[in-house]
Amino acid sequence: MSEERRITSEDLALFAMQLLSKEETAEVAAYVAQSAEARRELAEIQGDLAAYALTADVHSPPAQARERLMRQVAREKKAIPIDRPVVAEAGAAEPATTGRTGSSFTNAGANATAVGDGASDESQRNERGLGSGDYLTEDDQPKRGVAGKVLPWIGWAVAAGLAVAAGNLYHGRETLRGALTTQASQIDHLTADAAAARQVLDTMTDSSAMRVTLTKGQTAPVPTGRVAYVANKGTLIFLASNLEPLQPAKTYELWLIPATAGQNPIPAGTFHPDERGNASVIMPPLPKGVEAKAFGVTVEDEGGATTPTMPIILVGE
Amino acid sequence: MYRETGLVNSPSPSTQDDAALLTLVQRGDEHAMASLFDRYSKVVYSVALRVLRDPASAEDVLQEVFMQIWRNPDGFVATRGSLGGWLAVVARNRSIDALRRKRPTEQVDDMALASSYNLADEAERNSLMEKARSVIVLLPVEQRKTLEMAFFDGLTHSEIAEMTGDPLGTVKTRIRSALISLRKAFTA
Repeated sequence: MSEERRITSEDLALFAMQLLSKEETAEVAAYVAQSAEARRELAEIQGDLAAYALTADVHSPPAQARERLMRQVAREKKAIPIDRPVVAEAGAAEPATTGRTGSSFTNAGANATAVGDGASDESQRNERGLGSGDYLTEDDQPKRGVAGKVLPWIGWAVAAGLAVAAGNLYHGRETLRGALTTQASQIDHLTADAAAARQVLDTMTDSSAMRVTLTKGQTAPVPTGRVAYVANKGTLIFLASNLEPLQPAKTYELWLIPATAGQNPIPAGTFHPDERGNASVIMPPLPKGVEAKAFGVTVEDEGGATTPTMPIILVGE
Repeated sequence: MYRETGLVNSPSPSTQDDAALLTLVQRGDEHAMASLFDRYSKVVYSVALRVLRDPASAEDVLQEVFMQIWRNPDGFVATRGSLGGWLAVVARNRSIDALRRKRPTEQVDDMALASSYNLADEAERNSLMEKARSVIVLLPVEQRKTLEMAFFDGLTHSEIAEMTGDPLGTVKTRIRSALISLRKAFTA
């Protein structure tokens, strides 16, 4: 995209991935800063990289990660300006209506005396209301009856009950959280195990993997197959090399020949070799507990057969 | 919290779009921050874990990326593309920084993404992941491996060339070609 500047789309891709040297990075950054076309292309590349990032296997973060973040967030609370129009208005109105400059008790007493000459009780209550800055004196407290004496205790009893319930809830929550953390840890271990197992499988089945059969001396490569079979689990892995290409509509089929006399061969999967003659059968569905006497490979019609068709191409006991 | 921000009757943070959540985060709304974490923590953690291959280090990157949003929600501007995509790339860059044990650079996060993927929606996110994976699997092996080494392993083109024995130009072309294939598949 920029032959004259010798900065190409390839360079922009490396720049986006932070893979350039310091000098190269500075050079590309300067170019990007002055070229709208380069910025557009860089944005496209960043979009491509975002899409590629999604190919990572999905893992859930540990349960405590959220809690840790929220604790940190709470520690770094932001200062938020809070609008207080009511207070502002009251403050603005005060000098005109009461002549007070503050909320000192002395001034409030003076006000009460001043308005006592002709003002109503209603206006006195308003002046002493919430936000007026004045408070009721001991003499102003209303007389309390029996209900007034009992009700606060009911309130305390309810509060105590709530505290106990909250304690139980907290305990339950902590128990659940502990269980979740343990399970998350187990899942992480299992995920790691699964990833390792998958790598093993990928290595065995990857068509680009290098497969070498080692033989003694200079001998021509011959079709070879290797079976790993665990009878009591019914698990099998078969790897073959140097297989002949197949005719169209034909397939190779692996057979398990049971050790028990009179039992028919069991099909253990069909397969096609790649262009280099390599093939594999991984974990075909097999019954458990069948002891094998031998294994064989035949050529069958596409889709496989229920009984082997002669001749047997590969056989091993 | 909501009383302070005047949002008593606002919809639940979990149902709001990214821009609305970022606005709330700007005002110090911790619930909005939690919603963003719930929405994108898997993406960020998965990318970090893929690069670092260590759950503890990946969790550190996860914390770092989300605290960056809390401290500076203006760092991401909605017009620059999808927040999920931006987070995925930032997570990768932070992880590579951690891998190289160097201080994070400021400029890497100041980027625009020409991407309109809606990663906020889990179903769409899963669909995009599947699509990206299916495209990558179909790439020629050399391209796939080279891009993987560059993006997830953080190897420079020189290091890749040295490891694979391929010329530098070939390595650069493979990375670019792989990304173009990905883009074509997504725009098709």
